[in-house]
Amino acid sequence: MWVSASTLFSVRRILGIILAVVLLGGVAAAVVAGGETEKEGKDGEGTATTTVRGVIGSEKAEFFADPEVAKTLAAHGLIVKAEKSGSWAMNERPLRGYDFAFPGSTAPARELARKAGVKGELPRPFYSPLVVAAHRDAARVLADNGLAVLDGKNSGTLKMGAYLKAAESDRTWQELKGGDAHSQLTGTVFVTSTDPVASNSGALYLAAASYAADGGRVAADDADIDRTAGLMRKLIGVQGAQQTSSDAPFRDFVSGAGNPLVLVYEAQVASLLIQRQDVGDLVVLYPDTTVNSDHTLVPLTTEGRKLGRLLSGDEKLRELAVRHGFRPQGATAEFAAATEPHAGHLNQDLNGVRQAPVPTAEVLRKIAQRAKSQ
Amino acid sequence: MTRTPGSPSPVRRAGGTRARRRAAVWLTAAALLAGTAACTSGGSDGSEGGGSRGDRAPRTLRVLASSELADLKPVLEQAREATGVTVKATWTGTLDAVEQVASGKADGRYDAVWLASNDYLRLRPAAAGKIGSETPLMSSPVALGVKKEAVERLGWQPDEVTWSQIHRAAADGKLSYGMTDPLRSNSGFAALISTASALSDAQSALREEDVREAAPELEEFFAGQKLTSGSSGWLASAYERRGSVDALINYESVLLSMNRDRDTGLTVIRPKDGVVTADYPLTHLASASEDARDSAGTLARHLRSPEAQRAITEQTFRRPVVASVEPAAGLSQEKRHELPFPGSQSVADGLLAAYENELRRPSRTVYVLDTSGSMAGGRLEKLKKALTRLAGADTSPAGERFRDREEVTLMPFGTEVKRVRTHTVPEERPAGALGRIRGDADSLTAAGNTSIFSSLEEAYRHLDKRESALGDDRFTSIVLMTDGQNTTGTDAAGFESFYRGLPERRQEAPVFPILFGDSDHAELTSIAELTGGRLFDANEGSLAGAFEEIRGYQ
Repeated sequence: MWVSASTLFSVRRILGIILAVVLLGGVAAAVVAGGETEKEGKDGEGTATTTVRGVIGSEKAEFFADPEVAKTLAAHGLIVKAEKSGSWAMNERPLRGYDFAFPGSTAPARELARKAGVKGELPRPFYSPLVVAAHRDAARVLADNGLAVLDGKNSGTLKMGAYLKAAESDRTWQELKGGDAHSQLTGTVFVTSTDPVASNSGALYLAAASYAADGGRVAADDADIDRTAGLMRKLIGVQGAQQTSSDAPFRDFVSGAGNPLVLVYEAQVASLLIQRQDVGDLVVLYPDTTVNSDHTLVPLTTEGRKLGRLLSGDEKLRELAVRHGFRPQGATAEFAAATEPHAGHLNQDLNGVRQAPVPTAEVLRKIAQRAKSQ
Repeated sequence: MTRTPGSPSPVRRAGGTRARRRAAVWLTAAALLAGTAACTSGGSDGSEGGGSRGDRAPRTLRVLASSELADLKPVLEQAREATGVTVKATWTGTLDAVEQVASGKADGRYDAVWLASNDYLRLRPAAAGKIGSETPLMSSPVALGVKKEAVERLGWQPDEVTWSQIHRAAADGKLSYGMTDPLRSNSGFAALISTASALSDAQSALREEDVREAAPELEEFFAGQKLTSGSSGWLASAYERRGSVDALINYESVLLSMNRDRDTGLTVIRPKDGVVTADYPLTHLASASEDARDSAGTLARHLRSPEAQRAITEQTFRRPVVASVEPAAGLSQEKRHELPFPGSQSVADGLLAAYENELRRPSRTVYVLDTSGSMAGGRLEKLKKALTRLAGADTSPAGERFRDREEVTLMPFGTEVKRVRTHTVPEERPAGALGRIRGDADSLTAAGNTSIFSSLEEAYRHLDKRESALGDDRFTSIVLMTDGQNTTGTDAAGFESFYRGLPERRQEAPVFPILFGDSDHAELTSIAELTGGRLFDANEGSLAGAFEEIRGYQ
C-alpha cells in the first residue's frame, strides 16, 4: 500500500481541485480529491486517501473508470485501481499486493476467499443476469422457428430447451425457416460465449445450459457431468477460438463483426441504454433459464473490506452501479426507475426467467474443462 | 506434413530477426505534461509531482505492435497529449509477436502487445499465460481489393461476391492476387482461414477434416496467388510495381487507405459467405510493471473515447467499437457472417503446415552467396550456420525449413560463380534433400574476388533455364548475400542494362540483398530497387535472422 500523490498535495495544502488520473489496467479512473476539510471526520480516517488495488472482472471496468464513482470513493478516502482479469483466471494469479478481488460470480469468489483465508460473508453489492445480444434479423429468425419469443421490437425470451435441441442436431441458419433470406446468417446456430475455463460468463453459460439440458438438475457429481458433457462440448466447440473477457465479444458485436448471437451481461446492454447510446438493431434475449452473475467482492485487506461495505451500502454508489446497468442487491426500485425509458429492450422484472442454481466451483470447472477438450 | 499438437510453433523466428526490425519511437523527447499532470505541478516544486508513483508524469509504453498500426501515429500523438502516455512501438508480424510472447523474449522488453488479433496467441498456452487485460479498440475484416477492370471482366456484383466465386475465378486463371505469408502475417492467416472455411463448407469452427476436404479447392485457389510478402507494406509496393496482378487480400482498412493515399482504385469486397475480422486488442503483458499496466489502461481508455474512435475510423478506415460513433464513409454497414477462428492449436498449425507444404504455389529460389576471400573465417562460419538452420530438418515445424516442393539453388561465387547446385525438396521423405543442402552449405570455401553483378546475371539465366526445362509455375526470387563491393566482372550499369533487357516475366523475380560485413549499402539498395526486391540488414541483427525474414517473401 502506498500513499497516493494526491495526499502529498493535500499535505502541502494545495487548495482547489486536484485532478489525479489514476491509471488502471484496462481502465482509468479520474479522481477528484476534495479539500481536506471536507474529508476530515469521514470514516474517522482523517485526510488519508488510500489507494486500493484490485482485480476485477472486465464487465465492471467501466464502473470503476467512471469519474463519478472515483469521486464518490475519494470522498470516502479511497482511490481504486482495478485491473481486469477473467473471473475464473483470478485464482491463477498471485494476489499479493492487491486489496480485493471482484469476480463476477459467487463461486470463484468463495474459492478465492478460501485460498486467501478470508472469513465471513462476502459482500455482493450488485448482480446482472446473463442475456443474449442478438441482431434483429437473427432474433426474428429464431422467433419464427420457435427458438425464441419476441415481446416487442427489442426484447424477448430465448427458449433454452429448443435452442439446446437445435445445437444438439447441429442446426444451421440456412436450415431455419426464413434463414436463407439473410446472407450474414449462415453456418451453425450458436451463441458466442467467453472461454468457460477462464471467464465467468462462459462458465455461467454452461451452468445454465447444463441445468436446462439435464431437466432442471444442478450437476453435483461426475455422473451428472457425464450426462451433458457431449452437448456442452458442442456448444463450445462450434465457436472456435474464444475470448477471455465478456467485453471483447460485445465490442465485436457492436462494431458489426462477429457472431449474431453473443452472451453478455444485461448490465453491458443496460449501461449503453441508460447512457443513451445508440444500440443499433440489438435485441436482448433473456434465456428462459439463465444465471445471475452475482458480483462478489473478496476483501484481502482492511481497505478492501471498506470498499466492499461502501459498494453495498452507499446510496450514491448504488445509484452509480445502476447507471452502469447493474441491479443492486435488495431493493429493485432503483433499477426499475432508471431503466423505465428502456423497457422496450429490458425485462425489468425478469418475468418468465428462471434462475438456474450454479454448481460448486469445482464441478463447474470440470464441466468447463470437459467442454473445452475437443 | 502433419504436426502433433504438442510440437513447437511453426512460426518460430531466428533471434536476430527482431533486432533488425525497425523500432519506431513516437516522441520520447521532452517531458511532456498532460493537462491533468499540469495541475499537479502548479504550486509545487514539480519534481515531487512526478513522484515515485509517476501517475501523472509523462510515461512511455513499450508496445510490440502489428506493423499496419503505423497509420495510427496521429491518433497516438493526440493520445499522448491527452494522457501523457507515449507509445514506443516496435513493428512486427502478428505471429512473430506471439512467438516472442510465448518464448518469454517479450518479458521485460515490452509492456504491451497490440496485435491484429489475440486469437492465435490464446491458442498457445505458453503465450496465453503471459498476457493481462485486453481491450479491443477497433475492427477491420480481411477483404479482397480488386481492380475495376477485373471486377468488370469477371462480371462481379461487389456486394454479392463469395469466396466460392473468388476460388472459381482463380482456379480458371481469371484472377491473380497478392497476399501476405500466413506464417508471418495475420492478414494472410485470416485469408487462409476464410478460404478454408468457405471452401470446405464447414458450418462452424474449422476442424482437421475440413482442411483435408478443402485441400484440392484450396490448391486451385492459391494457384492465383502471384505475390507473397512478409509484410503488407512491401505487398502494396510490389502490387503497384507489378501492374499485372488483379487483386490484393488485406485488411479492409489497408485497402481503403491505399485507395485514398495511392489512388489504387480498388473495389473492396467483403465476401458474402464470411470474413475473419481483426479487433486489435491492446493487451498488457503480465510481466509489465504496475506503472506500465496503468499506462496501458489509460491509453486504452482514451482510445475508447468517442473522439478517439472517430479519429480512428476517419483516418484509418477501421470500424469503431463504441456504439455512438458511426463508421467512416466508405465502410459498408451491411453485416457479414464472421467465420470462426480455429479453436485449437493443432487445427491452426495444421492449416499453416498444409499451406506451406501442399497448398501454395511452390517457390524457386536462387541463393547467390559471396564466398570471396574476405569471407574466410568467422563470416563463412556464420553463413554456413545460417544456411544449415534455414534448410532445417524434416522434423522442423512448418516455417522452419525449406518447404516441400521448393526448389533451392545454391550459387556460391568469388571471381565468378563457383558452382550451381539445385535441390528440390520432395513431399515424400524430404530429409534426404534437406541433408544435401546442409552438406552443400558445409562444403563452402572462401577464395577469390567479388563478382556480384555477373553472378546475379548468372542467377537470372539459371531461372530461365529451369523454367524452360520444367515448364512449371513458381514464385521465383533471388537472395544475394555479400560482404563487400563488386570488384570484378560486370558493373552496376552493365547489370542494369542486362536486367532491363530481360523479358517481363523474368524481371518479376526480385533480388533480396542482405547487408553483411562490409557490403555497400548504396550498391545493394539500388539492386533491390531495380529488381523490385527489398534490402535486409544482417549487421543490425544476424545473418540467420535476415535469411529467415526473407522466407516470408519467397
